[in-house]
Order: sequence, then structure tokens, then C-alpha cells
Amino acid sequence: MKECKIGVYVCNCGTNIAKVVNVEEVVESLGKMDGVVVARSYKYMCSNPGQEMIVQDIKNLGLNRVVVAACSPRMHEPTFRKALENAGINPYFLEMANIREQCSWVHDDAIEATEKARVLTSAAVRRVKYHEPLEKRSVPMCPATLVLGGGVAGLAAALELGDAGQQVYLVERENRLGGNVGRVDLTAPYLDSARDLLTEFITRANQNPKITVMIQSKLVELGGYVGNFQARVEDAQGDIIELAVGSVVVCTGYKEFDASRIKSLAYGWLPNVITSFELEGMIRKGKILTKEGNVPQYVALIHCVGSRSLEYHPYCSRVCCMTALKYAHEIKSAIPKSYVSDVYIDMHAFGKGCEDFYRRSTEAKTMFLMYEKGHPPRIREAGPDDDCGMFIWVKEQLSGEEIEIPADLVVLMVGMEPREDSEAVAHLVNISRDKHGWFIESHPKLDPVATTTDGVFIAGACSSPKDIPDTVAQARAAAARILAKIAKGEIWADAVYAEVDEDLCSGCRVCNELCPYTAVEYDKVKKRSHVIYAMCKACGACVAACPSGAIKARHFTDQQIFAQIEGVLPWHSNHVS
Amino acid sequence: MAFEPRIVGFLCNWCSYTGADLAGTSRVKYPFNVRIIRVMCSARIDPTFILKALSDGADGVLVCGCHPGDCHYVEGNYKAMRRYALLKKTLRSLGVEEDRVRLEWVSASEGVRFGEVIADMTEKIRKLGPNRIKAELILDKAER
Repeated sequence: MKECKIGVYVCNCGTNIAKVVNVEEVVESLGKMDGVVVARSYKYMCSNPGQEMIVQDIKNLGLNRVVVAACSPRMHEPTFRKALENAGINPYFLEMANIREQCSWVHDDAIEATEKARVLTSAAVRRVKYHEPLEKRSVPMCPATLVLGGGVAGLAAALELGDAGQQVYLVERENRLGGNVGRVDLTAPYLDSARDLLTEFITRANQNPKITVMIQSKLVELGGYVGNFQARVEDAQGDIIELAVGSVVVCTGYKEFDASRIKSLAYGWLPNVITSFELEGMIRKGKILTKEGNVPQYVALIHCVGSRSLEYHPYCSRVCCMTALKYAHEIKSAIPKSYVSDVYIDMHAFGKGCEDFYRRSTEAKTMFLMYEKGHPPRIREAGPDDDCGMFIWVKEQLSGEEIEIPADLVVLMVGMEPREDSEAVAHLVNISRDKHGWFIESHPKLDPVATTTDGVFIAGACSSPKDIPDTVAQARAAAARILAKIAKGEIWADAVYAEVDEDLCSGCRVCNELCPYTAVEYDKVKKRSHVIYAMCKACGACVAACPSGAIKARHFTDQQIFAQIEGVLPWHSNHVS
Repeated sequence: MAFEPRIVGFLCNWCSYTGADLAGTSRVKYPFNVRIIRVMCSARIDPTFILKALSDGADGVLVCGCHPGDCHYVEGNYKAMRRYALLKKTLRSLGVEEDRVRLEWVSASEGVRFGEVIADMTEKIRKLGPNRIKAELILDKAER
């Protein structure tokens, strides 16, 4: 092995690391390690001057290995690899020590945290000595895209791609495009017609020759990898259609909360307790009536049904507050003599134009009643002598009183929840879900439409409750990410994959069966197995299983991991030579 | 000086390492005793990694992967689970206590749970005391 000249760079991350970890102590200790030529600290290693420091050291001091002790490698490994590349050395000669997410942010004791940071960094130094130069693989990028879900998100993504002249397969389970927005009359806060918004999108999608719309169809299998996926879609006739696509956008949306789960709201038991979507249906038909066919005099809107509750969903569903205000407007204009009460916890009016809409709503004759989280309203039937059909008990916060308000029609503002098939979809496209069942983004702030599976994107309410503007923005963002990949024409796949040393391979074929991607192939003539690199996803299952030690996990070799184990157990050297 | 357990954690990149990162971004506090080594999948964790950690002085070894059914590589965690069962059997015969080597499923959203696992494991190993088999394994290694 060529002599290792290692540079160690410890990041303060402003005060994120430095306020707990004594960075200078780490630098001093690491500077004494075998093979370390230079050890430095900097306030933000990921900044341009921070990266430039590394580049200059590589050039001036002839460094051939770099250790950066900073945030999680999941955050900035690509950044620093790029810096190594810019300085003219192989990007895989980098190793990161995670001293922020897994040290300074989880520990308070400065002495222990400093020691842990020192140990993690020294383990990285030991590991990096065994790093090998790796070359990335270039594979062609298939320009076609599979869009799952024909709601407003799927339509926006498909149009952005189709308008750019790229082939799109828009796959929708139901027999119509439009998704949940297609069940809505007007949108908040500008009271535009949802139908107008959708008609424009749907017409353009149907007329665009680059967009193949497949309704009553579903994805049944997805194989391959970024740039080269093979999708199998079952169409309305039950036929399987094979599609070659380079990218996938998941826009499978949400479903509404089942209000019958909350017994005190009497949904499904009292006929005039309805959900927001049922009211939309009435409004679209032009008649707001009770089940008995009467015009309701008292209408109540109840917020946060299933949302912001420890018992059901702790999160806010984001669109219901403004939708409730919209209903107040719509009910008042349809039945001018009606009394509308709006029963809420807090009014969430964060979107553009929403606070103004709230202000205008308070000026109209709507009665606002604030209830406490954990003390939801209760609905009961009224007696024969009352002039209303029901009463709603509310522990009203602003007056501090427990009151009952009359109602002929109660509208439950049901929140959003993941669809029942979200687990199946996540498995099909190999992405993760959070504890509620929403799809997880690659990074919640910096990479909100990508996922941990390269080439698979998520947009709209399938990742968390969203309104239409946010949904459309995400869908177009996902399309932009895909168009950038298409413009490059090729994908530089990670150089990390498994490799068989055919001299060591005994041809036992244990690895063949283990590979979930059938990437290990047996050569009957040579009587040896080998890995088809393009299909390998680098899990390393075959490596750990090989009885001959013939398979190497590039960048996760036994030697590299052994060195790291020795490094994290610092008194190792006292015992073993 | 009071005994402070040294725990080596082997975490899969997609669920558990991400979950440990989430513990950080959520500022969950847990004992400093764990030192994490990242692998792509729990199926990459060769039993020799665990033996190596024990022989090099770890008082505990934690293996974390995605929950069953949620593996980024379809079924790697099942492979890890099977290997773990075999390894545990071997470790028992070597006299390594049950609680020293532990397998846990930690998803990318379970930052809080990751902290709880570390706290619980640290306490259990603190009660067990230092890894006694360490010296014997080193001796065995030297003879080999």
C-alpha cells in the first residue's frame, strides 16, 4: 500500500458541534495519529472556504486520504467527495465521522462527548487507510417516467414532463383522473372552482401525445434501478403491460379519516352528522339539505376530526381550517338565513391569502367557538320540542363555559391519513414510511421530493397532508429533478457494489440464492459465480454469507470494517498486537 | 473509576442509521456508551464483526436493521435475523451473557426509540459488568 497521507478536518458546525465537543482537543489528538499529516478545525467545513481548505491541503501537502468529522455522512458525504474529486484524488478516499447527529446533538457531557468524537474520528482515520479508489459506473438514462396517481400531483408532474417532450405513463387506479380534488367544489382561500383547475389539467394531459393515461390500472411490479426501471402495470382489461422507465413519481395522495371512529361525534348514527366530503357532494349538487329533505337552519362545522389528537392522528391535516371557512361562506350564500357555528381548536391560517380569508370570515356572521384539545365536542339528538335536530356540547375556551349549541346539520372536518395501500405501494417502489404511514423524503428540508431509492420521487399528500399549491410545487419539483437527469443522458451510479474474486470462489452458489436482485450469476463453464454490477445494490448479504470470503463489498470491505471496530474500541492496541 | 460499558452498534444505512440521525436532529439524549458503525444492510453484518468487537473489548454489541417487511433490500433483515439466532447459540456456548449481544429493529422514524434502546442496553450491560470473555477470546486468538 502506498504511504497514507491523511488530512483530518473537524467541523465546529457553528456551535452545533463546538458547544459540546472540544474541537481543538480532537484536532490535537488526531494530529498525533499515525499517517495523519494535517489536522484542522473550521467553523463550517461544508462551506466553500471549508472545502477549499481541504482542496488546497490535498494539492499542497500531497494528501491521499481525507477524514471529515462533522455531520452525518447522509448529509454531506457527496459534498466532500466532490471536493476530493476537485482536488484530483479519488472521491472514495474520504471517510466521515458523524460527530453531530450521533454525538454533539445527543450528549450533554462535554468530556464524554469530546472523547466519543475523538474515538469516532480516530476510527475513521484507521478505516480510511484501507480505502480503495473506486470508479463510478455510467449507465444510460431512460427518459420515460412512470407517474403513480392521477390526482392533482400526478397531473402536474405528468404535464411538466410531457410538456418538456418526455414520455410519461400516468397510472391511475380509479376510473377517472382528478383524485380527491375531483370531489371538491370550490377551493380555499380564493374560492376558485376546483373543477376549472382540474379540467384544464385533465384536458391537457389527455391531449398531450407524450402522456399515456392509463386509468383503472395499477403498478404490480417494479424492478431495475435508477435510469433503468422495468415496471409491470395491470390495465383495466387485466392485461399486464411492461414499461421501461428511468424514473418514478409516486403521487398516490391520501384518504380521509373515518369519522365513525370517534363515538362522541355520532357519525353513522345520527343521520345529519356528515363529513366534509359529503357536504362537498351536496354543494356540487346545488342542494344543502338534511336527510329529511329540510333546509337546515343551524349548521355547525367541527374542526380537527381525527387530527391533532393523541388518540387518532397527532399531526395537523393543514387544509381543513380553510376548508371550514370556505364552507361557512358557501352555506351562508346558499342559505342566507342560516346560523353557522365553527367549532375549532386553533385556527391554522398559514398559507398565502389564508389569514386574510380568516379575517373576512370573522366579519361575516359565523359564530366561532374554541374547544380544547382533549375535550372534543359531543353531539346528541334534540328533543321533539326543540327547534333544532341536535345539540353540540362544547367546552368553550374563550368564555370558559360549557355550552350547548343547536344544529340541524353537523359537518365534520375529517383530516387526512395515508391510504390503506400505502404500505403495498412503499414495498413496490422500495421507499420507507414514517410512523403514521406517510412516505419519507430523502431529507425533509433539503431534499423533500426525493426518496432513499434513487430515481423514485414523491409528491403531494402521499408524504404528509398538503394543500393544492404545495402539492403542485412538489410535483413540478419532482419533474424538474427528473428532467435534469434526462438532460444529462446518463446516470453515474454509485461505485459501491459487490465483487467476486473468481480465484477464491469455490462455486458453491450460496450467494446465488441470497441475492434479492438476482445479481449474482453462476457461470456453468467456469464453475464460478460473478456479480452483474448494474443489478447489484450493494446490500452485502452475499458478502457476509460467502464461506470462502471470495466476495468483496466495495467500500464496506472486511478490512475497512475491522479497522473501524478497532478504532471505536480505543484500548484495543493495549491488548492485541 | 466506575464501569462504563463500551457498546459497538452496527446499523443499517437506510433505517437504523437514519433513525439514529433522527435522534440527533430531534435532540434526543441517550448515554454516550454506544459507538456506531454504518453498514449498508443488516445482512452485511458478518458474525465475525460481532466476535471481533467482543474480542477487541466491547462490553456489548448492538445490531440494528429495518423492521421485518421494511428492509430497503427486500429481505436483508431476515437474513440478519437468522444469522443472529445461530450466532447467539454459539455465544451461549462460549459463555457470553444473553444481554451483551442484541438485535433491534429501528426504523428511520424511530429516533426516540433508538435512544431508549441505547439507554436500556447500557443499563443492562452496566449490571452485567465488564466483558469477562474478552481475555479468553484474546488468548484463543493468540493461540490461533
